[in-house]
Amino acid sequence: MYEVYFEHFNKKVPLTEAEQSLIKSRLAVKKIRKKQYLLQEGDICKTIAFVEKGLLRSYTVDENGGEHIMQFAVEGWFISDLYSFLTGEPATYNIEAVEDSELVMISKSAYDELLTKCAKYEKFSRILITGAYIALQKRINSLMSFTLEERYETFMKQYPEIAQRVPQHMIASYIGLTPETLSRVRKRIATNK
Amino acid sequence: MKTKQTIAIIGASGNMGSAIAKSLSKGNYRLLLYTENTDKVQPVIKEIHAVNPSADVEAMPCSMHASWEADIIIVAVPYNAEKNIAEKIKEVANQKIVISIANPLNNTFNGLVTTPDTSAAEELQQLLPHAKVIKAFNTTFAQDFASPVIDGKKVDAFIAGNDEEALETVAALVNTIGFNPVIAGDLSVSRTLENMQLLLIQLGLKYNYNWHAGWKILHN
Repeated sequence: MYEVYFEHFNKKVPLTEAEQSLIKSRLAVKKIRKKQYLLQEGDICKTIAFVEKGLLRSYTVDENGGEHIMQFAVEGWFISDLYSFLTGEPATYNIEAVEDSELVMISKSAYDELLTKCAKYEKFSRILITGAYIALQKRINSLMSFTLEERYETFMKQYPEIAQRVPQHMIASYIGLTPETLSRVRKRIATNK
Repeated sequence: MKTKQTIAIIGASGNMGSAIAKSLSKGNYRLLLYTENTDKVQPVIKEIHAVNPSADVEAMPCSMHASWEADIIIVAVPYNAEKNIAEKIKEVANQKIVISIANPLNNTFNGLVTTPDTSAAEELQQLLPHAKVIKAFNTTFAQDFASPVIDGKKVDAFIAGNDEEALETVAALVNTIGFNPVIAGDLSVSRTLENMQLLLIQLGLKYNYNWHAGWKILHN
């Protein structure tokens, strides 16, 4: 239930048994089935979820009803609406399970408590937020300055496992294309090779 | 709240469990019903679907798995079965709201089996040290769920617990059912709440309230 979480944690910040049991006591485990929501836009995001098993996505919906995927999360990744989690403002993301999944979750109050009580959790959290920031900057760069082909190829190279597990239209949504454009891009790449 | 919360009801075919399930099926909840004898859950689900065909309700074969999937766990079993359930769900109940509805009555309904310095809810909290145990629905009879307004007044439903956010969540749940939620205090207030139901049962037997009675605080 917590194996992947603590493996991940210990790799970044090694924990003593006492620290691990303190942290574990503040976590919740939850199973969620495919197509169920962990969060819907408008609610306040009160948790950060770690994916122990499965795959989730976060996305926004524009005024025409179009979905824009912000993030995928597979085993060993975190997913949340960090803006809402950190500010207490309503979430702008929806978080949905793409596969049946198992999560390890921390609530805002437990998160705040551990930040002050446990220096190693504070360090782990810093690594996590820093990673999220770097990923976000890379993603903005890719969306603003890459060609369509580059966006697709970068995604396939960076996340080959996710590419195998999600439908094409979700990949298109993640890199900011319509499914039709993605299909043309893939054809172009195929003929140029 | 838009996001649908998942509620596991352990002991869902009992008087109280099934009454709670039927009432909550009206709200934006997904219900996972567990009872030891799986056959007994199906009639409850049928009854719910007869009234509300789109109700999101499902039978679960295991209390641990139901609780693992849940955001909120309602332990709707008699007091003497709580320990056994707590052992099964201990790991997956961490940090979740666990609602204790039991009244630790003796066999002759004239006293409680717990000592005055504790309560069924506090004992459950000890068994599940990292869960957010909340006392609720112990001062209401199963019959009250179908008609939570008695003599023109909405029955009060008292809630006790140590976690503010959990108390608010349970108050919303009580509201969905149709009772008037009254947050009574921390978990030790459960001692009073459990004794209140003892008194109500004794008075109900004496004056023949026919198991359809409740508490109401009158105030300006």
